[in-house]
Parts: sequence; C-alpha cells; structure tokens
Amino acid sequence: MHEQIGEHLVWNLPVLGTVHSDTIVTTWLVMIIALLFFAWIGASYRSPRVTKRQAVLEAVINYIADMVTGVLGEEGERFVPFFIALFIFIFLLNQFGVLPFKALGLPFGGSPTADLNTTVSYALMVFVMIQVVAIRKKGLKYFAHLTKPFAWLLPINTLEELVRPVTLAARLFFNIFVGELLFIIIASIVTAKVMVGPFNLSLAAAVAPFFIQFFNFFVGTIQAFLFTLLAIVYLSLAIAEEH
Amino acid sequence: MTSESLVVAATLIAFGIIMAGVAFGSGIGDGIVASKAVEAIARQPEARPNIFTFLFLGVGILEAFPIISIGIAFYLLLVVAKVPTLLSHIPAGH
Repeated sequence: MHEQIGEHLVWNLPVLGTVHSDTIVTTWLVMIIALLFFAWIGASYRSPRVTKRQAVLEAVINYIADMVTGVLGEEGERFVPFFIALFIFIFLLNQFGVLPFKALGLPFGGSPTADLNTTVSYALMVFVMIQVVAIRKKGLKYFAHLTKPFAWLLPINTLEELVRPVTLAARLFFNIFVGELLFIIIASIVTAKVMVGPFNLSLAAAVAPFFIQFFNFFVGTIQAFLFTLLAIVYLSLAIAEEH
Repeated sequence: MTSESLVVAATLIAFGIIMAGVAFGSGIGDGIVASKAVEAIARQPEARPNIFTFLFLGVGILEAFPIISIGIAFYLLLVVAKVPTLLSHIPAGH
C-alpha cells in the first residue's frame, strides 16, 4: 500500500529533471475544463436575458470581491481578479481528487494539491506578490516594518514573515492529502475483505468512503476559501498605512 | 525482542498517542470557537452569515497543525514501520 500513497508517475525532462507527470497533467486538465466552463458561462452574456448560471457565478464573484474590498479598502479593487482566480482554481483542484481516474489506471487523477509542489508554488507566488506590491508602494522603507514596535524584535518578525507561506502551503497540502489517505486506507480495508469472526467488517466499512468523500468536498472548499482569505489578510498587513 | 519489532511496537504506541493528542486538542479548540460563535449568533441572529464565515475561518486556521500531526503520524505508521505489510504476513484464519 505504500506504493500507492505519495507515489507519483514521473517524467524525465532534459532541463527540469524529474517531474511529477500526473500532477502536471491533472493541472492542465483542470485548466482546460475551467476555461471551457467559464467560456460557456460567458457566452450566455451575449443575450440580454439573465440566466441562472450568470446569477450563481456573479454571487460567487461578488462574495469574494466584497471580502477583498472589506479587508483592503478602496485600493483592493485591482487585486480582486487575482483572488477570484486563486480561489476558484484552488477549489477546482481540491475537488478534482474525488473523481476516480487514478484507480482506473489513467495517468492523471488525484488532486494536484495533494502534491507538495503545487501548494508550495502557490504559497511562494502569493508571498512574492505581496513583497513586490509592498515594495512598489512603499519603497525599500517597507522593510522597516520588521523593526516595529521594537528593534530587537527583528528576528521574531522576520521569522514570522517567512513562516507564513510555509504554513499556507503545509495547511493546504496536509488537509487534502490526509483526506485522500483516509479514503485509500478505508478502501483497502474494503477490498481486503476482512472478517472479524462472523462479522463482515469490509461490508460494514463500505459505507464509510461515501461519507469521507462528502467530508473531503467540504474540507476542499474550506481550505480554498481559507487560502484566499489568508492571502488577502497578509496583503492588507503588508500595505497597511501607518496611523 | 529484535530491534525491528521494538521499532514497530514504538511506532504503534506513538501513532496512538499522536491521534489521541490531535483529537483532544482540536476537539477543545474547535469547541471553544464554535461555542463562541453560537453565543454570538444567539445574541444577534442577523449577523449569522458573517459569523458563519468567521467560524469556518477560525476552524480552518486552527486545524492546520492537527492535520499536519495526522499526516506525520500516518507517515510513521505506513512508511517508517510499514505496518500493513506486516499485517499481511500474519497467516489468515485468525
């Protein structure tokens, strides 16, 4: 069973070395599906009648836009598309793990966010974006915030700044990965046909994956929302004006 | 008692202790957050969507470290001690 958990199919590329092919192919697949889906929704804007898909999409976008402008204020307007894209894409990546492509033997499938490479790259992207925006706004005096309120707090503040993307990546990765892991363990109990005396444990445990997938859907949504909200809050802390 | 069986026994005990600690800690933490949320909704029912958002935000943030602990516990169980392959070596019929 160890071979199934945490193991990825690999490609050996000439310049980049060994890459996880199933993560990359699944991410491309989700990108294509998301583009087609939103193009389909956007096509309904041609006719002047308001359709149901427009209303649902606009509800989601308004929710995130209100969140962004609520935390960041007026100047948060230009960041709204970035956070909308981040939330929707991480949400889709998290939920894609429910579909059983990998169990059917296909070279893609499984959630790409269950791979540490994906989550670390998103956390790094958010971190670099925040630093660049803050430096463009405040110049190099932005780094003076590390010595507020006391200068001897410099190591603690630096550590806190650097740990933030680490916790972002680790939180998202471990939530999704442990969900998939629990599913695989219960599924292996079911397929192993375990009998405890006269009691058919496998049959009784066959109900559990159903509820686990519900829970995974819930956790995937919450973690996508949380990643976006924490990115917004970190950005607001970085570009906050002095009182 | 060989050193390998000692490692397996210690890993099983460690797995149990980690799981107990995670369940206990996150149970208390989530319980405090949820109880405060319920109290706040009871005081002001029209703030329910707002408080709902903050409830899930709080649970998501504070569940980060327990979930990391669960991940590390499963790593110890499955990769370090390889418990399932040991169990499959036990002859069937028990």
